[in-house]
Amino acid sequence: MTAGAGVDLAAHVAAAATRGELVVQPRMGMSDPRRMAEGLRAVAAVPAATVGTITLDSYTRVSDHAAARAAVRRGAPLNGFPLVAHGAEVTARVVRDVAGTIPVQVRHGSAAPGDIFATMVRAGLATSEGGPVSYCLPYGRVPLAESVRAWARATCTLAEDGRSAGVRPHLETFGGCLLGQLCPPSLLVAVSVLEGLFFVQHGVDSVSLSYAQQTSEGQDVEALTALRRLAARLLPPRVDRHLVLYTYMGVYPQTAEGARRLLAGSVDVAVRGGAERLIVKTVAEAHRIPTVGENVEALTAAAARARQARRSVRGPSGDEVDASEVLAETTALVEAVLELSDDVGTALVRAFAAGLLDVPFCLHQDNAGATQGAIDADGRLYWADSGRLPLPGGARTRAGRITSRRLVTMLSHAARRFDGPALGGPVPAVPPGPVAAAHEGPLARIALVGTGPRGVAVLERLAARLTERPPAWPVEILALDAVEVGCGRIWRTDQPEYLLMNTPAGEVTMFSGPPDDGPPRAGAGPSLGEWWQAVDPAHGDPNGYAPRALYGRYLRQVFDTVLAGLPAPVRVRPVRTRVRSLTRSPAGAWRLESPELGGVDVDRVVLTTGHASPEPDGEHARLAAFAARRPGARYVRADSAADMALDDLPAGSVVGVLGLGLSFYDVMAALTVGRGGRFEAAGDGLRYEPSGREPLLVAGSRSGVPVPARGRNQKPPDHVYVPLLFTRSRMRTARRRGPLDFRRDVEPWLLAEMDLVHHGTALRRLYGKQAVTLFHERVTETVDPTDPRAAVVEQARRLGGPALPALDLPARARPFAGRRFGSPEAYHRVVADHVRRDLAEAEEGNVDGPVKAALDTLRDVRAVLRVAVDHGGLTAASHREFLASFVPVASALSAGPPRVRLHQVLALLDAGVLRLLGPGSVFTGDDRTGRWRGDAAQVSGAAVLLDAFVDARIPTPDVRRDPAPLTRSLLRAGVWSSFTNASAGGRLRTGGVHVTGAPYHPVRSDGAPEQDLYVLGIPTEHTRWFTQVGSGRPGRWGDFTGDADAVAEHLMEFLAQRVTPAPAQEVVA
Amino acid sequence: MTSVLTRGRTVLLSTVSSDAHTWNLVYLQLLLEEHGHHVVNLGPCVPDEHLLTVARAVRPDAIVISSVNGHGHLDGARLIRTLRDDADLAATPAVIGGKLGIDGEDDDRHVQALLDAGFDAVVTEGTPASALAEFLAATPPPRAVDAGAPARAA
Repeated sequence: MTAGAGVDLAAHVAAAATRGELVVQPRMGMSDPRRMAEGLRAVAAVPAATVGTITLDSYTRVSDHAAARAAVRRGAPLNGFPLVAHGAEVTARVVRDVAGTIPVQVRHGSAAPGDIFATMVRAGLATSEGGPVSYCLPYGRVPLAESVRAWARATCTLAEDGRSAGVRPHLETFGGCLLGQLCPPSLLVAVSVLEGLFFVQHGVDSVSLSYAQQTSEGQDVEALTALRRLAARLLPPRVDRHLVLYTYMGVYPQTAEGARRLLAGSVDVAVRGGAERLIVKTVAEAHRIPTVGENVEALTAAAARARQARRSVRGPSGDEVDASEVLAETTALVEAVLELSDDVGTALVRAFAAGLLDVPFCLHQDNAGATQGAIDADGRLYWADSGRLPLPGGARTRAGRITSRRLVTMLSHAARRFDGPALGGPVPAVPPGPVAAAHEGPLARIALVGTGPRGVAVLERLAARLTERPPAWPVEILALDAVEVGCGRIWRTDQPEYLLMNTPAGEVTMFSGPPDDGPPRAGAGPSLGEWWQAVDPAHGDPNGYAPRALYGRYLRQVFDTVLAGLPAPVRVRPVRTRVRSLTRSPAGAWRLESPELGGVDVDRVVLTTGHASPEPDGEHARLAAFAARRPGARYVRADSAADMALDDLPAGSVVGVLGLGLSFYDVMAALTVGRGGRFEAAGDGLRYEPSGREPLLVAGSRSGVPVPARGRNQKPPDHVYVPLLFTRSRMRTARRRGPLDFRRDVEPWLLAEMDLVHHGTALRRLYGKQAVTLFHERVTETVDPTDPRAAVVEQARRLGGPALPALDLPARARPFAGRRFGSPEAYHRVVADHVRRDLAEAEEGNVDGPVKAALDTLRDVRAVLRVAVDHGGLTAASHREFLASFVPVASALSAGPPRVRLHQVLALLDAGVLRLLGPGSVFTGDDRTGRWRGDAAQVSGAAVLLDAFVDARIPTPDVRRDPAPLTRSLLRAGVWSSFTNASAGGRLRTGGVHVTGAPYHPVRSDGAPEQDLYVLGIPTEHTRWFTQVGSGRPGRWGDFTGDADAVAEHLMEFLAQRVTPAPAQEVVA
Repeated sequence: MTSVLTRGRTVLLSTVSSDAHTWNLVYLQLLLEEHGHHVVNLGPCVPDEHLLTVARAVRPDAIVISSVNGHGHLDGARLIRTLRDDADLAATPAVIGGKLGIDGEDDDRHVQALLDAGFDAVVTEGTPASALAEFLAATPPPRAVDAGAPARAA
C-alpha cells in the first residue's frame, strides 16, 4: 500500500467479524471539507468497529460538476460532499486524519460514476457503492443500457487504477435496496447478487452484497441467508465478500423512540442473519439530514445492541430459519437472467426488457412495471402480482391489485409499527413516592381470568415489558383463578406426587429467557429442570418427568417472582374466585362478576380459562344416564386425574377403563401406586408389589394398545428442529392460493419430513453426518412437489441406505386392525410382545432410533402444522377429516408417555392387576345385571362384567358444551362464538372459540372482534390446533411464549395510550 | 392515441426536473385510476422540455404536477410559464401539489406565486386527497377521442 492508502474495508470487516463485532457505518456528507473531515473523525472516535462515509451531493450524482463548483464558490451548502468539484487533493486532506484508523467509503447514487471513481483513486480511495441497476432505476431517467455501459467502464478503470495506486478496490451493491420499500426480498437478493457478479466480471475482487431491512424480521433473516448461500454458489472463491444490511430505507418512524426501536430491530436482523456490516439510520431520519452527533448516537447504540444481541439472540439465526422459499425464488431469477448472456451487463438489460426482472412500483422507462409487492397480515412481503418474473410455481395472480389507500398504509407500515406505542404519549419517568396516593384507584385495570400456564405466561411477558417501560400511573392487574392462583387447576400443588408430567423437566420453562447473572425475574429465570435440581438435588433431573404438583409449585414460584419484580405503579391482586360473568358495563368497560369480588370494572380481560369440565355428550351421556339409574354401577367421568373420583373405588372391584392414552396412565398410577403398591426393578424391567388395596383394572380402547412410549430423550432442552420440506414458508405460500386440502396439500409434506428423519437417521448411523448433509442436499434438489415422499426414499436408496418399511401412521396407531384373537390369553401374549418391541424402539432414543426420531418429528413440526390449519386454513370438509382421522393418530403416536409407564404396564399385566380387553373395546351398561359390561370385538371370550367404569379419555374441547357460567354468559351475549369453518362451500361448526390472529381477540357472533379481550389456550382449540401446551420451552420462543407476548404487547399499547391522565399531557416525543 | 375514453380524464402526471421522488407519483397514479382517469406517468426528474413534448403528443385533459423535494416552488413556476407559453397547452388545466417549499416556510407566498405563474390550483401538504379529485371533476369533460383522430380542435 502507498502512503495515501487507508484501511482496507474488507480486511477491517473480516477482523471485526473474527472478534464477533458488527461493523457500523453512517450515511454522512457535508459540502464543507472541514466539516466533512470533522464528521469522519467523530465516526472514527466511536468506540466500536466503524467505517467512515462520504456521501456525495445531488449535483455530483448527476455529473453536474459545474453547478457543484458554483455552489462551492458561493459557499452555498449542498446535500453532500461534492467530491469531483473539490478534487482529489482536497478529498485526500479530508480523509487524512482517519486514513490510518477506519476505512472510508464513497456513497453517491450516480448512473455514470466514471468521474467520481477517477477522483477517488487519485485521493487514495477505492471503496464505493452502487451498481448499474440500483443506481439507475430508482433515480432519474438515464436509460438502463447507458448505465450498464458507464458502470462497466468505470468499474474496469477503478479496478486497474486502484491496483496501480496500491489500494484494493471494493464495491458494495445497492441492489439489495432498490426503491427501499415494497419489493419482495427475492428480487432484492437477486439484483444484489447480479450486481456483485457484474463487479467481479469487470475486475473487482472485493465486494459487499447489500440487503435493506424490510417489514418482517423473520423474512429479513431468511433473505440474508439466501443472499449468503447464493453468493457462495455464484461468486468465485477468490472474491472477498461480506454482507451489509441497511437499516430500514422506507418511510421512517416519526418519534425518536420509534426510530430507535427500528434501528435496534435492524441490528437484531444483522446479527441473526449474519450480516457483517450495518448502515444505520438516526432519530432524525423522518425529519431532516442528521447531525454528526445524531449519527454518533446511532452508531453507538447499534454497536451496543449488537454486542447484547450476540449474547442472547431473540429468534432463530440464519442457519435455523427456513430460507427455502426466498432461495428458490432468487435462484430462479438469477439463473433466468444469466442464461440471457455471458456478459452480466447485457443479461441485465435483456432481463429488464423481457420483464424477467421487474421492480415493483418503479416508474423508470426500462422497467416493465407489471409487478406489485404487498405486505401480508404477518408483516411479510409477497408478490401481489409477479408480472413476468420467472418464479418457481408460476405467476402470482392479479387478484389483489393494490389500491392507493392500501399503498399508503403499506408504505407507512414500519413507521406505524414502531411509532405505535410511542405515539400514544410520552412515558415519563416513574414519579417518586407512593403513586397510588395521588390518584383515586388505578388508571387502568387488567384482569387475567385463569392463572394456569397460559395466564402466567401472559403475566410474565407483560411484567418483562412493564419493567422495560414502567408506567407512571397506577395499573392494577387482577389475577383470578377458581382453584389455585398462580398455577391453576390442572397443575394445582395439592395433587398426589404419582401424577407426572409428560414432558422432561428440562424442556419446560415459564421464564421467557434463560437465567443470567441477575436474580430470577420476568424475562430471565430457570427452567423447571434447573429449578428442580436446585430445590431437590437428590431427585431433580432435567431428563426426568416431574410430578405435576411440583410443576405447580414451580409455576407459583414464577408467579411470585414476577410479582416481586413489577415496577411500583403496577399492583397485582391475586384472588381465588370463579368468575361468573363478563359483560359490557354502561361506561364501555368490562364488568366482571364473581361471588368474592362482586362486580368490578376492568379495561382489558385475558381469558385463559383452560380445560373445561364439559357436559357429557353422545356415548358419554348414555353411559352417565345408565349409571344414574343403577347405584351399583359406578361411573367416573373424564377429567384431570386429580379431579376424578378414583379414591373410593373399592379394592378388589372390577374397574373398566376406557381409553389407553395419557389419561389412562394417570388412572393406572392412581389405582396402583396411589393405593400403596410399589414397582421394583427386575431384570430389564419392573416388577409390581401389590398392596392388596388395588381394584382389578380392565382397560380397553379402539386400538386396544396402550399409546407407545416417547423415545428416550436425546435432544437438548433448547433443541430446535429446522424442517427441510414441511416448512412454514411452504405452508404459508400454499395457503395464499386458498383453503388447503389436508390430504393433498399438507400431509404429503409432513410425511416426507418424517421420512427424511427416518431415512436420515438410518444413513447417519451407517455413514456419519456428512451422508445426511448430502442426503438433504439431494432431496432438496430433486423433490417433486406432486410426490415429495418419492425423492426422500429414492435419494436414501441411492446413498446406500437400508430398505426401511414405510412409516404407516394409521397402522402404527392401530397395529391390530383387522386381526382376530382366539382368547384373551392369546391377545395378552401378543400385546405384551408389542409393548416390549415399542420399548426397544424407544430405548434407541428420539435422535438415534430411526422410528422414534421420525415420530418425534410430529412434535417438532407442530408449529408448521398450525400455519397450515389454524384460522380456517383447511377447507371445511378437509378440516373435518383432519380432526376425525389425522389428529387422533398423531396424538397417539407423538404425545407418548415416558418409557417407565410402559414398563409399569408390563409389570401390572404380569401381576394380574391389569388386563387389556383388546382391539375394538366396547363398554356398555348391562340392563340384566345392572352392571357394566366390557367386551372387545376382535377377541373371543373377552366379555367381562364390571363394578365401575372410568372414562379416561380427554374430553374434546367444545365451548358449546362447557357448563361454566362464565362461558355461558359470554356465548349468550355473543362475545364468544363457536368458530365455523365455512370455506370452500362446506360448513364445520367446531366448538372452538372464534379468535382473530395475534393478539387473539374473540370474534363476536356478529363477526366483529372484541379488541379489549384476549383468549388463549384450550377454549380456542379447533380455531387453532394443539392448544393443550402447558409450558414454554427454553431457548428460542415457540408459539406458547410468542402468543403470550403478542397479548402482552397489545396490552402495552393500551397502557401507553391510557396512562396519560386527563387533562392530556403534552406529547414530547 | 388509440384509447377511447368517455368519462374519465386523461391526466398527465409528472414531477419537476430536480425531483427524484417517485412514491408520490405511484400513489397519485393509483388514486387517479381509481377515480376512472387514464394516467400517463412521466416518473422522476422530468426535464421541462420532455414534459412539453409528451403533453403536445398526448393532449391531456389535465396536468398534475407533484413534488416533494422542496424545490417545487422554483421548478414548478418555471415549468408552468413554459407551458402557458405553448399555444397548444396554454389552456390545459394544471395543478401542482406536494411539499413545495423547504420546512413549510412561506407556503402562502409560494401558493400565490405558483397561481400567478399559471397553475389553476395549488394543493399543499395536509390538503385531503379528495381535493385533487374535485379539481379534476371541475375540469371540462373529456373530448370524445376517436382512434386515430387528429389533435383536439382548438
